[in-house]
Amino acid sequence: MGKIKIIIPRILITILVIFASIQAYAASCPIKIGGLAPLSAPGSVTGGEAMREAMLLAERDINAKGGVLGCDIEVVITDTEGLPEKAAAMMQKLITQDGVVAVGGGYHSSVGVASKDVANSRGIPVVFAETWNDTITGDMQKYIFRIAPLSSWASGVIWKFAAQAPGVKYVAIVTENTDYGIPAAKECVEGLGSKGISSITFGVDIGTQDFAGIVERVKAERPDYTIVLLTGEAGFNYAQQAADAGFGPQDTMFHANQAGLESKAWWENVPDGNLAFMARIGVPETMYSDSALKLAADYKANTGKDGIESYALEAYDSIGVIAQAINEAGSTDGDAIVTALENISHDGVLGRIYFPYGSKKSPSEDGKGSEWWHQWPDPAITMVQYQKEGEPSNTMTIVYPEVYKTGDPIYVD
Amino acid sequence: MEYSAIFWWTTLWLLFWGVVGSIFTRRVYLRKDLDTSNSILVGSMVGAAFGPVGLVPLWLKTPEISRKLILIPAFVSVGIMMIAFALADPQNNCVSNGSFVASQITNGLIIGIIYGLMALGLTLIFSILGIVSFSHGEFYMIGGMLVYYSTVVWFPGLHPVIGVLIACLLTFMLGAVFERLFLTPLYDGRIDRPVEYGILITFGLAFTLQYFVQAVGGANPVKAKRFFDFPRIRLPDKADPWLIKTSRGNMELFDTISISNPRFVASVISIMVLLGLLYFLYRTWTGKALRAVSQDRDAATIAGINPHHMNMLAFAMGGMIAALSGATLVQAFSWLPQVGMIPAMRSFVIVVLGGLGSLPGAFIGGIIIGLVEAAGTGCVPDPQKASSYIPAYGMIVLTLTLLLRPTGLLGRRFASGTHGKL
Amino acid sequence: MNRQQTLWLISILIIVFFMTFPFLYGRRDYDYIMHVLITGFFYAILASSWSMLSGYAGQFSFGHMAFMGLGAYGTALFSHYFYLSPVPTNLCTEFEIGDQYFIIKDAIGVTSSTLDQDCLTKALAIWDGSVQITPMPIWIGILLGSMLGGIFGLLIGMLVLRLRAAYLALFTLGFSEILRATISAEIKITRGQAGIELPYLFENGITVFGHEFSKTDKIPPYYVMFFLLLACMAVLAWLAKSRFGLFVRALREDEDAAAALGVNTVRFKIMVFVITSTMAALAGAVQAHYVGIITPNNLMILQMSLVVAMAVIGGLENFAAAAIGAIIIQFLLELLRESFVIGGVEVDMTLWRLVFFGALLMITLRFYRNGLITPIIEFFTRAHVASETVEKRMDPKTEDVEEEGITG
Repeated sequence: MGKIKIIIPRILITILVIFASIQAYAASCPIKIGGLAPLSAPGSVTGGEAMREAMLLAERDINAKGGVLGCDIEVVITDTEGLPEKAAAMMQKLITQDGVVAVGGGYHSSVGVASKDVANSRGIPVVFAETWNDTITGDMQKYIFRIAPLSSWASGVIWKFAAQAPGVKYVAIVTENTDYGIPAAKECVEGLGSKGISSITFGVDIGTQDFAGIVERVKAERPDYTIVLLTGEAGFNYAQQAADAGFGPQDTMFHANQAGLESKAWWENVPDGNLAFMARIGVPETMYSDSALKLAADYKANTGKDGIESYALEAYDSIGVIAQAINEAGSTDGDAIVTALENISHDGVLGRIYFPYGSKKSPSEDGKGSEWWHQWPDPAITMVQYQKEGEPSNTMTIVYPEVYKTGDPIYVD
Repeated sequence: MEYSAIFWWTTLWLLFWGVVGSIFTRRVYLRKDLDTSNSILVGSMVGAAFGPVGLVPLWLKTPEISRKLILIPAFVSVGIMMIAFALADPQNNCVSNGSFVASQITNGLIIGIIYGLMALGLTLIFSILGIVSFSHGEFYMIGGMLVYYSTVVWFPGLHPVIGVLIACLLTFMLGAVFERLFLTPLYDGRIDRPVEYGILITFGLAFTLQYFVQAVGGANPVKAKRFFDFPRIRLPDKADPWLIKTSRGNMELFDTISISNPRFVASVISIMVLLGLLYFLYRTWTGKALRAVSQDRDAATIAGINPHHMNMLAFAMGGMIAALSGATLVQAFSWLPQVGMIPAMRSFVIVVLGGLGSLPGAFIGGIIIGLVEAAGTGCVPDPQKASSYIPAYGMIVLTLTLLLRPTGLLGRRFASGTHGKL
Repeated sequence: MNRQQTLWLISILIIVFFMTFPFLYGRRDYDYIMHVLITGFFYAILASSWSMLSGYAGQFSFGHMAFMGLGAYGTALFSHYFYLSPVPTNLCTEFEIGDQYFIIKDAIGVTSSTLDQDCLTKALAIWDGSVQITPMPIWIGILLGSMLGGIFGLLIGMLVLRLRAAYLALFTLGFSEILRATISAEIKITRGQAGIELPYLFENGITVFGHEFSKTDKIPPYYVMFFLLLACMAVLAWLAKSRFGLFVRALREDEDAAAALGVNTVRFKIMVFVITSTMAALAGAVQAHYVGIITPNNLMILQMSLVVAMAVIGGLENFAAAAIGAIIIQFLLELLRESFVIGGVEVDMTLWRLVFFGALLMITLRFYRNGLITPIIEFFTRAHVASETVEKRMDPKTEDVEEEGITG
């Protein structure tokens, strides 16, 4: 009797394991690739919809060229809502229900931080498109890659530009309380401090709507420059309410978050948003490669927008680089894809994508920090400014750095 | 920003004697066989304001509870808190910067008026139907959405004020239809727990509406244009406009207080609607009938008023008022299907503070909450936390009200409603 | 076999079905279905305990998710801040306990790998793998989390005694909002909206009957959550059947009358509050360890509305119906995610399913006040009562007795 008690569960478990293993290796067409994008609030919906469009275009283009391993690919887009707990759940769903072999996309840093462990523990490679937090690659996880810039580095552009603006002694930073905002704010504070510029940080929750009190507080501090690190509709709300209170982009030097690059949404939500500065990833449109120009044309035709946003380019490339890696790996096995990604040289719309540091070469060998692990080192970051009311984002004036400059910044005193 | 122990110790002291006062005063009054209805409030206020020095004479003399006995210690305790705060953080803008304080108070007043109007709708529903509508925030959201869609998407170029009227009309109809379809079982005693039914059914409506709007309209933030631009004014003269200075979107008074255009316009509309509403309730037959039903349902029926019509009217009007607040604020905020949540919660706070079912109470409550939130956002020393706590400020007021005086500032002990007791 | 026995049989079949399900099901989406079921059990605990509180005891609380959050955050903070180490770090606050050091990590809030690190991470970097630290056993955290929920349940239960229906709902709503705002604002300690990550339920895997399960395997958490649900149901069933349950129901029907009959309403009200909030906290703590992350958004009113809707659609006044309703609804909501195309128009079901769900809630409330599951259960439980009554009425003997009683 005792023996039977032990044997029955064992038999059951064995049956189960056989079932499970049969399913796991039944790779079939189409090959599925996950795509993370925020498609409802409090996530940045404008950003998410742009990324979705770009990832679907990537699917179309790859399939037009014959797909991957003789199969078509299918990009399974999933809504992260910009929330860490949703991100973890959605990553789980992509892997366990949809059976994706790799994942691209990703907008909010908190999504990257929360979902990377889920993917890594299940051995599914991820190429994050637009999540900046350094920890995402800084944890040196085997399956995690990134083509977005590092936060410490992107923040560097923001604070360096603020520091060189005329007469800046005191900076107000309004940040969202997330994995993106808080580290970015700290990096700015440290950087500005190194130039002898003091600063004050105001934190807000994502999804905050009424900023009247905070705007008054910022105003009472009399800063020379405002840096807003808010994604989604909170960024729009802050900018317009600051303008309503007489402390917006036309009243003070004002750095808005890159959500403002979505020019249609920006001008609708922030009618007084002229002269705001923003950081943009990627080279200016005049320097686009042929593939980028073609993508931009398709994207404009599909969406009716004036230009393609940087995060859409990144999302497109994140799918493209995964597809090439699967081809080069010759299988959809996670480890094989990782090996292929570490050796990859992908001609994407952002430029040539490669990952110099990984299991072959540790970042510390070049004296670099662990955040450079599986990190594409070349994304260009520029500061751009709206200089005409209602202008589309692709004609924005590039004001920094010198290499890409197309015009002088207009500083409001 | 140095936190000083003095503030926390004072708070603790006030809290301790407030609790002691609230517990024992009631017992003392009970033992002496006196009216205990407000004893908890008085006990806690006197305790907080004067500590044992105030409580002992109160317990010995047990005077009849008058308004003075509540208000004086209440103001004293608020004063003590303010002084403690000023001592603890003398560098704070709330203490040292007069124009900042003036700006915050103005902002609080303006937004408080709008909140008050919205809460008025909720209290109107409660006073007639006896239910707390959990779909109030969604009416607010839909009001804003309708203005956006009618002026930007459906009929581009339509003046926003007409958009507001469209929003009012449609939400009124929505409210009326919902009431006919789902609230009628409340009236004939078919439901054994009407309050819960009311909460749940409106909750269901809120859930459905919110996702319906998101499914139909998407989740992108939208915004309507400013209804009116300010004319360009410089007074008393162009060179030194110390009295008033306006630009398109902003008005500056006395060089210190800045008022944003959308909020100003919204509050002016709110005041106008409020006056209209008062006229309707106190000067027209239908309005009087509504009030009659809220005061005594049976007597009103005998007097020839059909309470069923009044139920429908009250729910539809309540929803319409919420929609109107949303419709006027869609020019100030970016609008999403989720925007209704916070204003709905705030309305709950306001109606409880003012007294469930009391119309003037809702308005006063609105202004108080506007000021409390402005003070909270403006004065909390740590700039990292001040705004995260915004939803909590009102809720603390709600909690205190329910603990100390559940009937609210101007509340009646019992609202008649459809089910009598609260 | 009468209907009562049929009901027993069905219940046993349901339990056996769920007990063997992990071994019977073998489709490709195995992990996903298991995940849906685990989450379903979690919601079932919340919905059934909430129906006990509001349906049986008439305490219409909107704070149930707050207690869930207390449990989850209790265990999250515990496992985030406390560790054991054989060597002192000399950086953190630490106490010597036996041959180990009890280490309390400093609270630094949200950071990234290039910014300030907490003292333990610094120490680990210095040791460079030479020292093994031990995290606290998670069951202690879960226990502490549930106790936290229970203690707050006691406090809130005592405070809301005097309040009725609408006020009670608003008060508990207020409590849950204050809690949510506090967790959002105290970023240094709770990491605010970035959320706290927790170790998995079985971080190092577990071996059962000689089979090793890894930390991402679904079977161990499935059975943990399922047994938790069964235990909660047993407690609730005992509550409902006991004298205490009758008292509680008396409370709901007429509080004053119950008080007049000598029922100590105060004590029972508080007891119900404590028991149900402990259950919510326990479920929250286990679920947080299963999911691996908790954020203040889990406490939002929208999450609460989901629990309420599940309980109502299942059957508000029957905790078993509420639990079954929760599992079914959770399942349907997940299965209905697939979008489809009708007449060239793509219907995005990720949103429309919630619209239908809301409409179903309203229709259930309006036309099937006892929920959709309760009538099925009552068909078995009450039917024999009805037939007995009919029998009695038909029986000439009892008729005689009654008539005698009246005339006599």
